[in-house]
Amino acid sequence: MSFAGLTLAQLLLPLGAAAGGVTVLYLLKMRRRQVEVPFAALWAQVLRQSETRKLWRRLRRILSWLMQLVLLGLIALALSDPRPESWLRDARTVAVVIDTSASMGGRDRDGPTRLEQAVTRARGELEALGPNDRALLLFAGAEVVVGAPLGAGPAAMNAALDKVTLSPGEADIRAAMSLARNALAGRAGPEVLLLTDAALPESQRKYLDACRGDDPKQACRIGLSTSEPANLAITAFAARRYPGDREKVEVLAQVHNLGLRPARALLRIEADGIEIGRVELELQPGASERKVISRLDAARDRLEARLIPLSDDPDSRYSLGPGLDDEAFAVVPPVDPLDVVLVSDGSNLFLEGALLTLDDYVRLDAIGPEAGGADAEEIKNADIVFYDLGTKMLPNPLPETNLVIFDPHRNPDSPAPIALDKELKRPRLTEQDRKHPILRGVVFKDINMFRGTSFKLEPGDVPLVSHLGDPIVALREGRHSVLQIGFDPRQSDLPMRVAFPLLVANTVDYFARTSAGFVAALSVGASREVALADLGMASRDCTVVRVTDPIGHIHALAVQQGRFRMRATLPGIHQIEALDGEAAGSVAEIAINAADLQASNLVPLIESVDELDEVQRAGPVPPPVPIDQGPLWTLIILIVAVLSAAEWASYQRRRSV
Amino acid sequence: MSNRSRIFGSKRDRVVDDELFDEAFMRQLELLQVIARRLMRGRQRAERKTRKVGSGLEFADHREYSPGDDIRNVDWNVLVRLNQILVRQYEEDEDLPLRLVVDVSQSMAARGGHKLRLAKRIAAALAYVGLAGLDRVGIIAMSGDNYTTLPALRGKGRIFRVLDFLRQAPTGGDTDLRSTCRRVAAESRAPGVTVLLSDFYDLKGAFDGLNLLRFRKHECICIQVLDPIEADPTRSAVRGDVSLVDVEGGASRDLTMSPEVLERFAEAHEAFCKRLESKCRARGIPYFRAYLDDDFEDLLLRVFRRGGVLR
Repeated sequence: MSFAGLTLAQLLLPLGAAAGGVTVLYLLKMRRRQVEVPFAALWAQVLRQSETRKLWRRLRRILSWLMQLVLLGLIALALSDPRPESWLRDARTVAVVIDTSASMGGRDRDGPTRLEQAVTRARGELEALGPNDRALLLFAGAEVVVGAPLGAGPAAMNAALDKVTLSPGEADIRAAMSLARNALAGRAGPEVLLLTDAALPESQRKYLDACRGDDPKQACRIGLSTSEPANLAITAFAARRYPGDREKVEVLAQVHNLGLRPARALLRIEADGIEIGRVELELQPGASERKVISRLDAARDRLEARLIPLSDDPDSRYSLGPGLDDEAFAVVPPVDPLDVVLVSDGSNLFLEGALLTLDDYVRLDAIGPEAGGADAEEIKNADIVFYDLGTKMLPNPLPETNLVIFDPHRNPDSPAPIALDKELKRPRLTEQDRKHPILRGVVFKDINMFRGTSFKLEPGDVPLVSHLGDPIVALREGRHSVLQIGFDPRQSDLPMRVAFPLLVANTVDYFARTSAGFVAALSVGASREVALADLGMASRDCTVVRVTDPIGHIHALAVQQGRFRMRATLPGIHQIEALDGEAAGSVAEIAINAADLQASNLVPLIESVDELDEVQRAGPVPPPVPIDQGPLWTLIILIVAVLSAAEWASYQRRRSV
Repeated sequence: MSNRSRIFGSKRDRVVDDELFDEAFMRQLELLQVIARRLMRGRQRAERKTRKVGSGLEFADHREYSPGDDIRNVDWNVLVRLNQILVRQYEEDEDLPLRLVVDVSQSMAARGGHKLRLAKRIAAALAYVGLAGLDRVGIIAMSGDNYTTLPALRGKGRIFRVLDFLRQAPTGGDTDLRSTCRRVAAESRAPGVTVLLSDFYDLKGAFDGLNLLRFRKHECICIQVLDPIEADPTRSAVRGDVSLVDVEGGASRDLTMSPEVLERFAEAHEAFCKRLESKCRARGIPYFRAYLDDDFEDLLLRVFRRGGVLR
C-alpha cells in the first residue's frame, strides 16, 4: 500500500493535537450538570435499584473516548490517501485459457476435480486484477468457447466460471492459444495463462513447449491441475440385432483401465433406460477387456452401456475417473420383414397358413404357378421363394434367390439344383439332423406319406432328413441357398403336425440370417463422413439432412452423392432426418460416443510444475485486490461517518432545554 | 439564585407575587362564590353546621320526655301512634372555623414556585367562599422552618387581609408535615375544617400529619398540589449524566438520566400519591390532586362538592 496524500510526519502534529482535544473534552464531560429536584428522597429510593450499573456507566465513557480516537485515526488515514499496490502497477491484459477436455474430470479421492482446481485458480487471478487490468476467459474443449470477452466485468467472469463444464474429447489447445494471442495483440501488458492438466496427446506438446520460447509473443504461464490418473473408459461399444429374432441383440463393449491401480466396475447394458444385461469387470492397470454379451432382450433400438461402481468396493467409484467416457451408445436398426413369395396353386392352405403366422417377419405374396417364373416382378425382389407346385413344372430357370422347393422332381427334367437319386414308395422319415437350425424343435415321428424322392447330394450339401439313409430333405448353401423337400405335403400328413409350421418358421429364420443389421457408432471430435445408405435411407436426390443432437439442438448438413460430413461434440443418440429427395421425411438414428483412448488417458505430459521453467510457471495465486475501483479515502470517510452516527445514537443523545 | 443550572424551571419562569391575586383572579373568586351559593341553595341556613343538638330549627333527633322539658317540643304524632312521650331535638347552628394550612416549603417553591402559587390561589378561593358564608377563616403558612398564622377572620371584607397574608408569607425550609400539623392541632382552640395544601413530598410523615389532625377532631381535607413534570420527569428534557441536588438541602447524587430511570421515578411517584390517597380515603379524609395544568374552576368546584367545604 502506498499513500498519495499527507505523510505521517505531516499528520502527526494535527493528529496528536486532535487526540489531545478529544481527551480534554471527555475529561470536561466528566463534570456533571446539576439538577435541583423537590423530592430527592423519592429519587434516592428509585436510584438505589440501579447501583449495579455504575461500572458500565463509567466504562461506557472510556469506550466512547477510545472510539473518538479511532475515528481520528481513520480521518488521518483518509487524509494520507492510501492506495493499494495493484492500483499503481502497469496495466495487464490477461487471457485465461481453461482446458475443459474430458481428462479434466479426474480427481483424487474426495478432492476437487482438475477442472475445479483450474476454476479456483482462475477466480484467484480475476480477483487480483486491478482497476486498470482486463481479462478474457476461454474454454478449450474440442471446440474453443469464449467464456467471457475482454472487458467483461467480474460478475460476468464469475458467472461464466460457474457454468463451465467438461466437454468430451481432447482440448484444442492450438486453437485456444491462437485465439488468446490474437485477442491480446496490441493490448497493454498481455499475458496468457493456460490452466490445464497437460493430459494431452503428444501432438499437442509443442503448444506447451511454445510457452518456453524466447518469443514474448508466444510467452504464457501454465497452471497445472493434478490428480491421480485413474480412469476406466469404454473405448468401444457396438450392437447388432439377431436377424431371426428381432427381440434379441448382441453387444460388444471394450473397456480400458487407464489408471495406475487395478479397477473393478460393473458394465451395465440398457435399452431405453431398462437394464437388459450386466457383467462385472476387473482390470489391471493398463489392461483392456472386450466383452461380447449375447442374446440380450432388446425390442428397442437404442442401447446404452454404462460403467457403474460396485457397491461392495469403495475404491470402485474413484477408479472410474471422469464420467464422460463411462457411457457409450449404440443404435440397432430394425429388421425389415423378409419378402417371401409362395408360388402355389392354392391348394396347400397349411403352407400358406404357416407363412402367414410369420406376419411380422415376412411380407407374403402368394402367386400362381403361371406367374412363378424368375422374371416375375414379385420374385425379382423376393428374399425367399417357396415352390409348392404339386404336379406343375418348376419354372426354368429358377430365380436367383433363396428357394424352398417341395417335391422338386415330381416332373422329369426338373431344374431343381439338387439332383434326383431315386423314387421312394411310402418313405418313412427315419433320420434327421436335430442340431441343424432348420430342424430345431421339429420332430418327424410317424409321418405318413404316399411317395417321395431322395436326392443325390454333392459335397457341401447337407442332408437334413433321410429315409433309411437316403436324404429326402437336403440343403444346399451358397450365395443363394435352396432347401429341397422330396415329397409333396399334400401326399403326407406332415401339414397336420406341429412340426410343419415349425419347419417353415425355422427355414425362414435360417435364410434371414444373411443380413446382420449393424451400424457402427461415431466418436466425438473430428468431422466424419456418413453414408445415408448405411443408415438405411435411400440416397437418391437427397441434398440436405437435419441433425438433432441429444439436447435438442438442430442444424442442417449438406448431402453430396448420398454422403454427408458430421462433426458431433456431444455423446448420445443423434437423429438424422432427410429433408428432400426420395427419402424425404425418413428418420434414422446414429450413436456418437466419447470413445477416444487418448482423450480418456489422464496421464499428463507434464507431471509437476517443477518441470516448467520459472518464467512459464503460473506460480501461486496472487493476493486479491481489496478494492478494485474508486478512491479508498471516500470509503474511509464513509466508515467514519457511520461510526460517528452509531456512537452518537448510542451515547451522545441528549436533548436539553 | 446559584450558578447551578436549574433544569426544572429557569429564572424567566418565576412568578411575580404582585400578580398572584390580580383582577382576573378576583373576578374568578366572585364567580366561584356565586356558584357556591347555588350549591348551598335548599338548605335552611348558609352557615356551617355541626352535629351539635341545640335550639336550631332543623330537626335532629328524638329523646324521651323528662319533667321540665318544654311541652311544645313534644312530638304529639309519636304519642298518638306509639303511646310514647318523646320530645324533638333540633340542630343548633354553631359557627366552626375554616382553617387553611398552606405548605410554603422549598419544594413548593421549586420550578419557579408555580405549585406554591396554585396552593395560595386555592387557599384564597376557599377563604373567600368561607368568608362570604360568614365562616371564620384562618390561614397558616407553614414549613419546617416557617410557621406564620393569620388569626381567624369573619366577613367578606376581610378577604384582602387574607390575600395580603398569602402574598407576603415567607417561603423556604423543608417539608415536615408531621411537626407542623402537630403544631396546628396544638394551637387550635376549636377543631373545625382544616384544609391542608401541600405537595406532601415527605416520605415519612406525609399522612401522619393528617392523621394527627383527624385524631384531634379536625375535619381534614387533603389537597395535593403537583407539577406534572415533577411527577413525570420523562416529559422533561433532562438526559445524560447529571448530579441531583435536593432543593430543601441535603447531599447531591450522581446519576445518568436515562429513559428507564425517569420512567421508574414516574412510577414511584404515582405509587406514592396513590398510597396517600388510599390512606386518606380509608379514614374518610377527602383527597384531591391539583395539577398545575388543571382548570382552576373545575378544581375548586370538585373541592366544593365533595370536600364538605360547603354544607
